[in-house]
Amino acid sequence: MKILNQVENFFGIISKKIGKHPIVPFILFGLVIASIGFLPHTGLMRWGTMGVFAYIVIFTVVAMGLNLLLGFSGLISLGTAGFVGAGALGLGVFINLGFPFELAALMVLIIAGSMGALIGLFSLKVEGIYLAIATLFVGEILRQIYTQLEIFGGQAIRIGAIRFFGFIELSMINQFQRSILFLLITTMMVMMMIIMHNIVKSKTGRALMAMSRSQHAAQAMGISLLKYRLTAFVLATLFATFGGIMYGLYYQNVPTTAWTLDLSLFVIAMVVVGGMKSIYGTFLGVFIIHGIPNLWLKNYFGDISYIFSGILIILVIIFYPYGFVYIWYDLKRLYIKHKLRWMKKQVIKDE
Amino acid sequence: MFGVHLLFDGVNTMTDLLRLLFNSLETGSVYALAALGIVLIFRTSRTTNFAQGMIGTFNAYIAAFLMLRYGFNIWLVALVALITAFLTGIIIDTFIIRPAAKVSPISKQIITLGIIMVIIGILPWFFGVDSMTLPRFIPTAYSITILGADLRYNTIFVIAVSTILMGAMFWFIQYTKWGLATRVTASDETTSKLMGVPTKTVTMVSWATAAMLGTLAALFVAPRISVFSNMLLTVQISAFFAGTLGGFSTFFGPVVGAFIISFARNFTQFYISDIWGNVLVYTSILVFLYFKPYGIFGKKPTKKV
Repeated sequence: MKILNQVENFFGIISKKIGKHPIVPFILFGLVIASIGFLPHTGLMRWGTMGVFAYIVIFTVVAMGLNLLLGFSGLISLGTAGFVGAGALGLGVFINLGFPFELAALMVLIIAGSMGALIGLFSLKVEGIYLAIATLFVGEILRQIYTQLEIFGGQAIRIGAIRFFGFIELSMINQFQRSILFLLITTMMVMMMIIMHNIVKSKTGRALMAMSRSQHAAQAMGISLLKYRLTAFVLATLFATFGGIMYGLYYQNVPTTAWTLDLSLFVIAMVVVGGMKSIYGTFLGVFIIHGIPNLWLKNYFGDISYIFSGILIILVIIFYPYGFVYIWYDLKRLYIKHKLRWMKKQVIKDE
Repeated sequence: MFGVHLLFDGVNTMTDLLRLLFNSLETGSVYALAALGIVLIFRTSRTTNFAQGMIGTFNAYIAAFLMLRYGFNIWLVALVALITAFLTGIIIDTFIIRPAAKVSPISKQIITLGIIMVIIGILPWFFGVDSMTLPRFIPTAYSITILGADLRYNTIFVIAVSTILMGAMFWFIQYTKWGLATRVTASDETTSKLMGVPTKTVTMVSWATAAMLGTLAALFVAPRISVFSNMLLTVQISAFFAGTLGGFSTFFGPVVGAFIISFARNFTQFYISDIWGNVLVYTSILVFLYFKPYGIFGKKPTKKV
């Protein structure tokens, strides 16, 4: 009992100190993830494991964008993969054309963002499953373009070492530089998490949430559907494209055939399994969908690991329909229940 | 896809046209079967079934495996595959979809993704990693020539079976007691349950029927490509598009949509551009959807505020 109280006090102090500013936990979280970038040098972790974590970091950003759409605005997109591909492949094309990295990234973001705005306009007319499949159309068109157009290099586009501000060159092949790249994408993820947090807590986030509950009520409160649907789609596309840019930045070799409906479905699965309307939940979802199979299951079961991932997805959704992150509340309740029972016993004993 | 048909040297526009016509009718039938399965599940279970293609693939694997291992003929293995498809549908509904009845529609879609992954894992475990083949129902040797265009009896068979099957299904849905039960379940499940409609059975049979339709589509497609895990990907995506184009609120809309997509795709690919045909068709459907958001036959759902 005493130990429990001490633990509680300890965590209470930490959470009080951290809780003062909402950004601090994100930065701490980022530091924990960033430390993974240096573990392979010490021999405690394999390089492949770091690659898996890089993928998780990248897709956390992508899935956060979709969470804005799915969790906060109640809209669905099956074209996410197309936009991740746009980010990664677009970056490659512009860099190979001779543009500096920063300009290339900016141009890709602008192009993809305007496409997102177009889909947003489209979404004012079309609803539900029709909207979902309309975005699938967009995804398929993009996929066709990537695989057919020669500028994307057929099977894959090689970016090679990326030059920042014209003089710092970082390459995937060099192990030390790869760690720096990992650090860089982790920083980007933390940045996007903070941006997401700010969006959600701002007027925009509230408006999106109102819209997801009831369009008509939201309109009656003076929320412009046009403005906020556009915002939701543009933001989701920008997040996805940004994830794509991170992909190009880290892996530096981008396949053209990977951006299919399957990937979009996996991103939706990450949001649904992890936790809608939760930033850490999104990370948890990516970890469950991509991390667990690739870090452990594949080593033991090989191809059959898909069965376990599938069963995992089904079970999590049946038992935690709002996302696995809400297991935290169940654990808390369980803890309090047991603690109360313990205390009651103590009181009876004392008497 | 057309190279196979080029048996004659002289380029004859009429011949091309007929070839395209036969080809589009065949692919259109396959798309229509898949689309009908998707819309059936969408109406009765309120979910987009992404696993439709994978369920069909799984049963096509069973057929190909039986044929390879025991040398049964195609008709027998097709029958076995349809029976196992019926069972697969029932199993999926009972053990996965029904326990998740209270889950939101989006989460249900992800459950069907989970089903896809389970089946992808099962395939190499049960059947090995090699891709397999299935022959046509009627061998290629049997064919007639119309104006220089080759029309296989198998093509006629595929079109006829699909048409008769779909006609029978529409008749069933429209004029029988169980069809009525399906339609009321599709329009409002809670009310129908209160009125004594066995909605659970209706949903279960819908899943079983959809699985059978998917399997039939897989068996029809298998001779052209081979039996591998992603064999129905194009068919399934086209079926989704067909559903959107025709409208998910009717049962016959998606079938019409399937034939439109099949024709549009084949003709643009042949006459305009092999590469950009798909992009052109998809873009024009998107533009069409902007002006008619619920498809050709779809009605705007009435909503209470």
